[in-house]
Amino acid sequence: MKNKETLISRDLSKNQEYIETQYSHGVNMDFVSRPLTAATGRYHLFFYSTTVDTKQLSNHVISPILSSKKDVPLPALLAVPGIESLKDMKKVEDALSSGYVVIFQEGCREAYAAKIPDLKHRAIEKAENEKTVKGPKEAFTESLDTNISIIRKRLPSKDTIVENVEIGARPAMSVSLVYIRDLANPEVLDNIRKRLKSISVDTVCNIEILEQFIEERPLSLFPTMLYSERPDNASNYIAEGFIVLMMDNSSSCLIAPATIWSFFHSPEDRYLRVIFGNFSRFIRASAYLITLFVSAVYIAITNFHSQLIPIDLLLAIAASRERVPVPVFIEVLIMEFAFELIREAGIRIPSPLGPTIGIVGALILGQAAVQANIVSPIVVILVALSGLSSFTAANYSINHTLRISRFIFICASSLFGFMSLLGAIMIWTVYLVSIKSFGVSYMSPATPSTKSTHDTFFRILLKKERWRPVFLKPQDKDKQ
Amino acid sequence: MRKLLVMIVCIPMIILLSGCTDRKEIEEQAFVVAVGVDKTDKPNIFRFTFQIANPEVGSSTISPSPNESPQELVSVLGADFLSATNAANSSVAKEITLEQVRVVIISSKLAKSNEFIHLMQTVPSTVELRLNAQLVVSKEKAADFLQQNKPKMETRPHKYYQYMLDRAKETGIIPDAPLSRFYYITEGDADLFIAPLATVKPEDKQEYKSEDKYTAGDIPLKGENKTQFMGSALFKEGKMIDELTGEETRISVMLDPTLSQQDFIANYKDPLKPDYKIAARFKAEEPKITVDYRPNGKTTIYADINFRLDVYSIPSTVNYISDDKKRELLRNNLERQLKQMTEKFIEVTQKKYKGEPFYWSLHIRRHFLTIQDYEKADWSKKIYPNAEIKMNFRLTSLEFGKVLRQSDLGRVKD
Amino acid sequence: MVLVKRPLKTRELLTMAWFMVGLKSADTTPAMLAGHTKNAVWLVPIASLLFLLPSFLLLMHLLKKHKNYNLVELIQHLLGSKIGTLLCLLIFLSAFIVIVLDLRNYVEQINYLYFPNASTTFIFTIFLLVCFITASKGLESIGSISWMFMPFILFTIIFILWLGQSNAVWNRIFPIFGSGLGVILTEGWNKSSLFLEMFLLTIGYQAFREPKFFRRGIYLGSGLAFFFITFFYLTYAIVFDYNTIENVAFPYQETTEIVTLGHFFTNVSTFFMVGWLICSFLRFSVFLYLLVWTFGAIFKVKPFESYLLPFCFLILTLGSIAPSFVTNELSVREVVLEYISPIFLLFPFLLWVMSLLRGRRER
Repeated sequence: MKNKETLISRDLSKNQEYIETQYSHGVNMDFVSRPLTAATGRYHLFFYSTTVDTKQLSNHVISPILSSKKDVPLPALLAVPGIESLKDMKKVEDALSSGYVVIFQEGCREAYAAKIPDLKHRAIEKAENEKTVKGPKEAFTESLDTNISIIRKRLPSKDTIVENVEIGARPAMSVSLVYIRDLANPEVLDNIRKRLKSISVDTVCNIEILEQFIEERPLSLFPTMLYSERPDNASNYIAEGFIVLMMDNSSSCLIAPATIWSFFHSPEDRYLRVIFGNFSRFIRASAYLITLFVSAVYIAITNFHSQLIPIDLLLAIAASRERVPVPVFIEVLIMEFAFELIREAGIRIPSPLGPTIGIVGALILGQAAVQANIVSPIVVILVALSGLSSFTAANYSINHTLRISRFIFICASSLFGFMSLLGAIMIWTVYLVSIKSFGVSYMSPATPSTKSTHDTFFRILLKKERWRPVFLKPQDKDKQ
Repeated sequence: MRKLLVMIVCIPMIILLSGCTDRKEIEEQAFVVAVGVDKTDKPNIFRFTFQIANPEVGSSTISPSPNESPQELVSVLGADFLSATNAANSSVAKEITLEQVRVVIISSKLAKSNEFIHLMQTVPSTVELRLNAQLVVSKEKAADFLQQNKPKMETRPHKYYQYMLDRAKETGIIPDAPLSRFYYITEGDADLFIAPLATVKPEDKQEYKSEDKYTAGDIPLKGENKTQFMGSALFKEGKMIDELTGEETRISVMLDPTLSQQDFIANYKDPLKPDYKIAARFKAEEPKITVDYRPNGKTTIYADINFRLDVYSIPSTVNYISDDKKRELLRNNLERQLKQMTEKFIEVTQKKYKGEPFYWSLHIRRHFLTIQDYEKADWSKKIYPNAEIKMNFRLTSLEFGKVLRQSDLGRVKD
Repeated sequence: MVLVKRPLKTRELLTMAWFMVGLKSADTTPAMLAGHTKNAVWLVPIASLLFLLPSFLLLMHLLKKHKNYNLVELIQHLLGSKIGTLLCLLIFLSAFIVIVLDLRNYVEQINYLYFPNASTTFIFTIFLLVCFITASKGLESIGSISWMFMPFILFTIIFILWLGQSNAVWNRIFPIFGSGLGVILTEGWNKSSLFLEMFLLTIGYQAFREPKFFRRGIYLGSGLAFFFITFFYLTYAIVFDYNTIENVAFPYQETTEIVTLGHFFTNVSTFFMVGWLICSFLRFSVFLYLLVWTFGAIFKVKPFESYLLPFCFLILTLGSIAPSFVTNELSVREVVLEYISPIFLLFPFLLWVMSLLRGRRER
């Protein structure tokens, strides 16, 4: 930071020496410092060989300079789309770091940056984590420009704004806020800008880190921003008046404010016809309930309220538990933990080994544990059911919430059966409704109720969706 | 932070304090499916027999131990249900719970004694014993009944009771008698209560009667399981006073609007050839009872019953099917048969029992504004025994099954 | 940052009022009333409603006329600060005594029916802890959570009523007046303070987006509550006969014990306990919050939420005084209700008279 005010010298060799020291030329293997002697004078080029397009460099930068006969200014000479004049060394450094080619000319107090970067990133691929059968398949990739171009393609309007906010210092990264000018609530926008500016750490590399910096309650069990890798999802939310945060190097975006429903909905629900979409919502809602409560209810019923179980089932459970050496609570806990192990291992394991771990896990933990009388088969069924159900979660962020909450409920129900379980559910739910995400109640629009699309558990006919979510206080409420 | 502190203090407190006082693992409990109660020589001491289901038998999840029986019987002395379970625990290792009890079997000797109602008074305050358990009266000792009742098709004891009682209730030969009904009727003190009658010791003199004129024990049945559910025990003011046959039970169930009855097959006299019988499926609708109450004169009770008959067989081969006149005759005759049968039984209840098991006291209540007036009018002592009862049976539909014409047996014999 | 200020609307108040008033249908209240009226127990809430309606409507009318006041502020405005505070304290104290007695009552039910081996104090503590945490999240959260659990509770209610019908004998409602019309009316008058929550709720008159929503919510909620209370009492009367109903301490739980769901599910009572327990948690959270709110409004302390914890301790201590459930229920609760009933029946008239005088003076 010390060379902020260093100006560009008329002496080319001075500039060359300065840049070469700054960029450790010779140590930094991909830093190229190349002198050029043309008919019109001496030039010097600096660039990272790994971040510029070398083909363009030779065709559109070097050869025009070498072949020029007259002393025309560089911007007129070079056939590249972006060229910028740089007045001081700070700008030069920024340009170099961004992957531009910087050209110095002998006797000139200006340098020029030719924008021919070739930063490598993945091509646009299919969405991996939020799959749909019906609906667009493309996903965000790790290049901000590509991502914004996908969004622009979906929202071609002069009102779609991509606003950059700089955060951090080593290096400064920019966060792009994407919103629709005449929809997004300025209060929320200001709040987000304020939160972004108040980040005091040096580096925030990607959106996943950023999320934790601008969240209201970092210790909370519930995510308050929606993390999505689907451009269609993002642009749908933008069109409703939400604000999307994007960064370079992240193949996802953050959508704020988020409500509990946004974690429950899948974009496919809207692509499917209303009955089909609601059916899949219904399945998913049941799955959420199953994954949260099935093990806890099993413990509560078997340990405290056995009169609720029909006698045939009761005798079946009693028979299968006759030789199990641990109480139900421990039994369920062991199996739930084992299931979490399989899941964690499944994510971390190198893919060639994947099938093996599946077989070993299922075989050892299921079959063998039952045969060895460590657990009863009913518990295996329940744990498999609750584990399977947790995979229906439409969003990865809520997945952890469900899994951790499940353990809370399991522990609660082992204390006092339904009474402590319901107490825990009460506290859990009251916490849920008290959360606010950027000033929006987490359960809106169900409660507190506002005009909206009424898209909560079930959605209505698209034709009948009259209002934008008013809990966001959008500038234009009427959708039709 | 403050909230976190509260949590940190409270949660361990809960765990420590609870000590898991009410937690019971399922396999540590012994589930009683049937309780039998017998009278002993000492007053107000009863013999309780608990039939405990063995979960390991009949369950496919693990291979059962070959020598275990599907049930275990424990018999102890006690003053009430709960203290008896405690006593029984001296022999059964697991904790005995009554929450799955399906049947309470009372020996008829106990049911006829004065102690019975005192025993029953202890039940509602027991949290464990559910009031929807069925009351069954056994002719012999309840302990013997439980011991000798060995169903062949159902391994698990509760299944047997469930199927047996449900099926028998559908046909109306035994009534539906949950414990709760016993309390309503006994405490209401206006009607008689009927409970299923059962036995495992068939009587020696066995003769054929029309299919529902039996009571438990005299059905000429042959088979390995000697258990019979048939007829009912009649309770007046919490004390058993008589036995009703299957037919009488059917009439009671039919006349009681609060009890439901499915269809059943019965025989009726052939009106033209009285030596033969007609077999038909009988289905009665809910009876309509109206009471014409005269505080000073004679009260009249009207009972209208609509019923349906599907005739299955006419062994006499009289052509009731296509001959309109004969069919009309059959129709009138059947209505008269039922009416006579019912009126005979009602007369018995009026004269002999001085009370009715049909829960008809409900229908006179609307003539009173307050309970005091109603109790003063005294249904069971003053109104019913002196009332005039007008039965009206109406056959709404008479069907003859899948046959269009009876074949002429006379021609076949030629 | 809050985008929508005062977000509560009709639906939240509707559910709060409904559960708060309506849970009377599933506790020991019917048993207490049936001791006097036998099978006519279902007429008592109707009688109470008839007595309460004029004074309640008058109170709502006054609140509407004098805008910008809640219950306590209205009383203090109309009666002057000294007498007003005295009356408010009287209301507060009666509500406080009622919550103490009711809580003990519920805890005993849970203890006796579901956890017979646990100590009462311990269940009391857990119950209060849950209510305290729920209440400390504020009115907005309590309102929202009531609305969230509404579908489940409604399902439970309809299910139990439907199942109850299969065991019900409609003729049991006769003789229609039970122990007599006079007894019903006396009981209706004496026990009208059973529904004091309706009056207590008006402390939140200003807390909703518009007073219009408040009025709509409280009328609808109380209406639903009265409807279901009557319907439940009617169900008890026709499921248990008049001789049995006075002996049954917990008619809701007994009803759930008797009903069966086909052959397979013969004991479904615990299922109905779930809805009941959620409803009780909700009711006492709202009650606790309103109580402390009233306290805060009388003594002008803000934020009053910090008084929740001391009040919980006080309730726990006082609630544990009664030596047994029967004493608590039959001697104390009944007498207390009879003493405080006139307050709620009469104070709106006092306010109305003062309001008239004040209006005349100003003219």
